[in-house]
Amino acid sequence: MSGVVITGTGAICALGDKPSVIHAALCAGVPAFAPSAIVPADVVPGHHVAEIRDFDAQKYLGAGNIRPLDRTGRIAAVGVELTLADAGWTKELRQTRAFGLILGTMFCSVRTISEFDRRAQQAGVEYASPMDFSNTVLNAAAGQVAIWHKLRGVNSTIAAGASSGLHAVGYAAKLIRTGRADALVAGGAEEICFESLLGFSRAGFLAAPDGNAPGCSVPFDKRRRGAALGEGAAFLALESESAAQSRGAKVLGRVLGFGAAYDAGARVNGGGTAAALTHAITRALKDAGAAPGDIGVVSASAHGGRTLDAREASAIASTVGSSVPVTAVKAGLGEMLGAAGPMQTAMALESMRTGTLPGVTGLGDLDPEIRLAASASSRPLSAKRALVTAIAPEGNCCALVVSLD
Amino acid sequence: MQARPRVVVTGLGVVTSVGVGVDAFWSAILTGRSGIGPVESFDSSRYAVHVGGEVKTFDPSQHVQRLDPKSMARASHLAIAAARLALADARVDPASLDPVTCGVSLGTTSGEPTMIEWFNDHEISGARDRIGGEFIGRYPCHVLAAHVASEFGFSGPNVVIPTACAAGNYALANAVDNIRNDDAEVMLAGGSDAFSRITYTGFARLGAIAPERCQPFDKNRKGMIPGEGAAVLVLERLDRARARGARVYAELVGYGLTCDAHHMTAPQGDGAARAMQLAMADAGITPETVGYISAHGTGTAVNDRIETLAVKQAFGDLAPKVPMSSIKSMLGHTMGAASAIEAAACVLAVRDDKLPPTINYETADPECDLDYVPNAARSSTVEVAMNNAYAFGGNNASVLFRKCQA
Repeated sequence: MSGVVITGTGAICALGDKPSVIHAALCAGVPAFAPSAIVPADVVPGHHVAEIRDFDAQKYLGAGNIRPLDRTGRIAAVGVELTLADAGWTKELRQTRAFGLILGTMFCSVRTISEFDRRAQQAGVEYASPMDFSNTVLNAAAGQVAIWHKLRGVNSTIAAGASSGLHAVGYAAKLIRTGRADALVAGGAEEICFESLLGFSRAGFLAAPDGNAPGCSVPFDKRRRGAALGEGAAFLALESESAAQSRGAKVLGRVLGFGAAYDAGARVNGGGTAAALTHAITRALKDAGAAPGDIGVVSASAHGGRTLDAREASAIASTVGSSVPVTAVKAGLGEMLGAAGPMQTAMALESMRTGTLPGVTGLGDLDPEIRLAASASSRPLSAKRALVTAIAPEGNCCALVVSLD
Repeated sequence: MQARPRVVVTGLGVVTSVGVGVDAFWSAILTGRSGIGPVESFDSSRYAVHVGGEVKTFDPSQHVQRLDPKSMARASHLAIAAARLALADARVDPASLDPVTCGVSLGTTSGEPTMIEWFNDHEISGARDRIGGEFIGRYPCHVLAAHVASEFGFSGPNVVIPTACAAGNYALANAVDNIRNDDAEVMLAGGSDAFSRITYTGFARLGAIAPERCQPFDKNRKGMIPGEGAAVLVLERLDRARARGARVYAELVGYGLTCDAHHMTAPQGDGAARAMQLAMADAGITPETVGYISAHGTGTAVNDRIETLAVKQAFGDLAPKVPMSSIKSMLGHTMGAASAIEAAACVLAVRDDKLPPTINYETADPECDLDYVPNAARSSTVEVAMNNAYAFGGNNASVLFRKCQA
């Protein structure tokens, strides 16, 4: 089994377009949330979101016709562009080697699909655009990005709800380990749109507004009442040890292990426990050949949900203990769904590299039920190995172990 | 290097327009029965075409037992039904298994598109207030695998791979890896898609839907026909299957995945050929061993021509000697379920040494000049069956099934 090295990262979200910039903004507690500029205010009054403001894909992608790409496709293409550049996977290199893409997404573009159908219903079937139809498939973003960046290797889309992106990274790492691929871009992308914002609001997933103020969506906080949505993309360039070595690539870190499990009680009469995530973490540690004590930091997926945050905290505490420093970047970035896991991973790597762990933005009153070492402010960190966790309301759970060296 | 664990198929569950359950499905396929008929699930009067491959005799409540069938949409019903049939076919009692060792890997093109239709019907009629939690609870495609796992209490790896019309094959490939990597001992793998006006509208707008029949590889082929269905395969390690005295249908010996990176809807051919070659290399076999190819064979002018070229590229001079048929001639295109249902057909072809026909084949096309098993099933030895699937986005996937030897 060959090792899996991380030779590049790239990300774009409300707080910036580079992992180091996003990390610095999180450490400084820069606020990202505001009323949506995409979804009219009357759809879900009072909710704040973390959107990419004034997003201009062309700025990153250069000349070329980006019209065929919808917003999710563009966000993904930009995230991948930034990652390819960071990894040094040049256009020339992509002509000779079949690089692959593993994209995690919960919705791809539910907005594209929905608008395609609405147009057909309201204006007539003959007004629905064939070009839009090709973007209604759930692998549209992965396909468009592969075309844009000429990625001819394995191309998979992974759907596991809010754990999609982390699952995609684990899936990619295993393809490399087993020799199926030697270079993959892996991560996730998600957009904020009318359908998802309304849908999540109606499902009671979002923190309800408190008068004129947005509701408390601070992970692990005693007052938390739900999530706030975010959007963006984050990717890792993963390469086999030998492929990275042979081109003299810089090594940002390694993927050491992955584990996944499903909470079969989550959809049955409001059941569900911490057992599935606990199992996923245990599997990931075993896969990494790591002992719980080897983990120096945890990048959690907590988003402010009452039950899920507690369940995740319980799984983390029971596997790696309560004294390991923990952060939850969704406090600053919002629930980025399919993009979340890779963003958590990129932030964990950046935290270990810089020796600074971002605080949980806004954490005022740590829930006594959350027995984790989380704090509001950023703090010094000395860690070489990180655990990244993901737990989704529908029961999908996974965990990734990454190292700096 | 340590030999990798061998993974075999021990159960099949299929829900199709020509039959529910392995026996009904296979006998219909071998007799060349078509499941195409007038569209019933929505009003097709606004379209220039009116046929589809809908599953018409199907009662979700017969199959969805632990969960409430009313709490989910149709693609989940179809998936759970296929999974329940597959477990029964494999003679596996879900309750007897260690839940964390059992996973689910499903493919789909559209997830639960009827939930978007439901959302839009409310939105358009001014009833936004009546859109509740159902939308987020039932729509996102990963709920397909979540529902199957919840129905049977399986807590192993759980994922949906929505790589459009090649999704079933991607899901099978992922399941094999899950078992080989020791992430699971038993995997339910396959695909599911429900008939939807969104899909129908899209293909109608592409001008891709044939007015009456699907005629893959025929000179006068007029297009594809949207369909629906599901198939789930029970995959497990060979030693485990033997230890429990299971009947083994076939071994899943290899797969190959590639991407054209060329065009969203127009296939290019080279990527498809590379997927076939990767799969054969993965299985350690040469083209001579392949006794049957289950074609993607949608019945569109472009697909069938390019696919023929791709098989020639991968098989060289042998190409005309390898029988290749498309059961989409009978089922229409069941989207993400297609390659899962076709995988079931491949497995049965390997078991019985019988080849499914391409029905509605009348006139030879000089550009499609291979052996398409026209109109009648055929007896022929199938040591290895190759299952090919291609998709929007340029996704290509080939999966190989082989007779299971000692």
